[in-house]
Amino acid sequence: MSKMTKWMVGASAATVLVTVVGCGTANNASGNNSASGSNNTTSGSSQKVTLAETGSSLLYPLFNGEWIDAYKSVAPNVTMTAASTGSGQGQSDALAGNVQIGGSDAYYPDAIMSQHPEMLNIPMAISAQQVMYYLPTLSASTHLKLSADVLAKIYEGKITKWNDPAIQALNSGVKLPSLSITPVVRSDSSGDTFLFSSFLSAADSTFQPNTQESWPSVQAEVGAQGNDGVVSTMTKNKGSIGYVGISWLDQGTQAGLGYAALKNKDGNFVLPTSQDIQAAATNMPSTIPADERVSLIDMPGKDSYPIINFEYALVNSKQANSATATALKNFLNWAISPTGGNQSQYLNPVHFQPLPSNLEAASQAQISKIQG
Amino acid sequence: MRPVRSFTKTADKVFTMVTGLCASSPIVFLVVIALMVLVQAIPTLRLMGWKFITQTEWNFGSLYGTMQHIHGVMVPAGATYGALVFIVGTLASSVIAIVIAVPISILTAVILAYQVRGRLQLSLSILVELLAGIPSVIFGLWGMVVLAPWMQHSLGPLLIHIGTVIPYFKGPVGTGMGLLTSGIVLALMIVPIITATTRDLLQQVPTLYREGGLGVGMTTWEVVRLICLPYVKDGMVGAVALGWGRAMGETMAVLMVSGNATNHLPQNIYSPTATMASTIASKLDSALGDASKMGVHALAELALLLMVLTLFTNLLARWLVSRTGRGRRMRVKVSA
Repeated sequence: MSKMTKWMVGASAATVLVTVVGCGTANNASGNNSASGSNNTTSGSSQKVTLAETGSSLLYPLFNGEWIDAYKSVAPNVTMTAASTGSGQGQSDALAGNVQIGGSDAYYPDAIMSQHPEMLNIPMAISAQQVMYYLPTLSASTHLKLSADVLAKIYEGKITKWNDPAIQALNSGVKLPSLSITPVVRSDSSGDTFLFSSFLSAADSTFQPNTQESWPSVQAEVGAQGNDGVVSTMTKNKGSIGYVGISWLDQGTQAGLGYAALKNKDGNFVLPTSQDIQAAATNMPSTIPADERVSLIDMPGKDSYPIINFEYALVNSKQANSATATALKNFLNWAISPTGGNQSQYLNPVHFQPLPSNLEAASQAQISKIQG
Repeated sequence: MRPVRSFTKTADKVFTMVTGLCASSPIVFLVVIALMVLVQAIPTLRLMGWKFITQTEWNFGSLYGTMQHIHGVMVPAGATYGALVFIVGTLASSVIAIVIAVPISILTAVILAYQVRGRLQLSLSILVELLAGIPSVIFGLWGMVVLAPWMQHSLGPLLIHIGTVIPYFKGPVGTGMGLLTSGIVLALMIVPIITATTRDLLQQVPTLYREGGLGVGMTTWEVVRLICLPYVKDGMVGAVALGWGRAMGETMAVLMVSGNATNHLPQNIYSPTATMASTIASKLDSALGDASKMGVHALAELALLLMVLTLFTNLLARWLVSRTGRGRRMRVKVSA
């Protein structure tokens, strides 16, 4: 290496260092500001606590866009952070104690629960998932009708063109293009994959409910990270199809994606409207297990939308200290309360539905187990 | 003799110890990391055996189902770990990168070493080295936003015509995310390494040789081709191997543009793919959700394989580069 090169490398390294240090200070400064601001309002009566959430990209818009801001005025001493990392990451982060709340569209599997009975699965809201596609030749008001059976065939590579007779049979009168289908899947560990594979598993045993599906070998298939990644990958590929969480519906449709009417258990094709999601929610089993781990896929009822689920907060019942435990309990109780976080003003923007009232007791019983 | 104070003696001992510790840290780290990865990989080594590198199906199994006991280890039902897709993806994308990067790097290095002088040489050299400093995620972003759509709509449909000669170029082009896009992004990332190393090598060619070549009436091209490049040949192979190692280990940029294929081998040069490094990054969250921990063990074996491959190419590179030094002395003797 010549002298000049060495000098250059040194200089660029120094620049990088300065930038990194600069960012660090900026972050700290803003952090301190918010902390001191909250101190003033509470006049130092309660201890400052930070609650961190990572996980589900489906739950993220609710946490980051709605709840964190709203909860600032409820409990100014609590600083909350949220990150969209995928449900799988939320599950493992909560398990490892990296965060207080793991956001997930999927509850913990039995195998994990038997190893870690201290983990709680607390429903936060009712969510849904839509199947989206990018077919610019279709009008926005047209919603293709799709069934679990046809979707399974697409994801197995048995249906490869949009004008396949099986799709056409469900959509008489719709002019389908002779375009290749590009199935898009989540490459990260995802609750959305869990919901979609649960839905497909009813029609085809190739698929098993799983956060990380081993997808059948399909040449055209593309993997993407997070719901945002799926939406952006789909908009770049005409003829793509993918499963997207309901809180990303608006981003998807604004980007030109259409969404399907799915065939429910009663044989009707239904859209993920709030009425049809509610219809499915009212048909959920009357007895929910005490640990509230339950699948809401394919609920009966003529208007029931087939892919709905609980959005879970995964928390450890043994927290590091009592201040964190108290703050966490307070937040979770606020979040599930119909006068707190479950108000429509927070849920509507992300198309979530409030929890049924008969669930509140079970959730409160679970939350009361949290200790410092 | 100068009287030595006890403080100085102690300081001397401390100095020996501290330097010894620091000097041994690289080898300690390497051994510890290798051992940890190896220990983590043992359960999958037992479960999969050679099938790990010959099988295309990678399946974490039903994380929501029951656990099974196979070959004395606990695994989720249906779990099987075959890394062939990722091995092929790693090798293919890095070889494409090398094929693109090597001519660009050598020609750039020739220009930088011989054809430009003074400020221009300095600023061009700086630019090449700055390219090496760009974080890989930025290459990935560019690849995703600019290169992939361009591949899908412009370059891909053009390259299909080569398909009549080389079958791997036959369509369909697909989404633009895949082997060729990964290869191009990787090529951009390794050009600076190969260029800088080759330039330094070319500058070692004695001026006398080049002047001699020009003196007997050779053109510039002939001097480069017949004198300079043969002179640095071994070192250049080393430089290429260094770049190759980097291309195989690159994670983020590939993760963003490869299309993250699983369970199927690439059909053509545009097919979605995944490399060992990108798979470790993208599948770790799934593996951590596996109650049997087998997913983590499988990724550890993948890491072990990647480590062995990159260590091998790096050692090869060092050996070849060091041979150039000896070769030069030898040649000088011969010519003297």
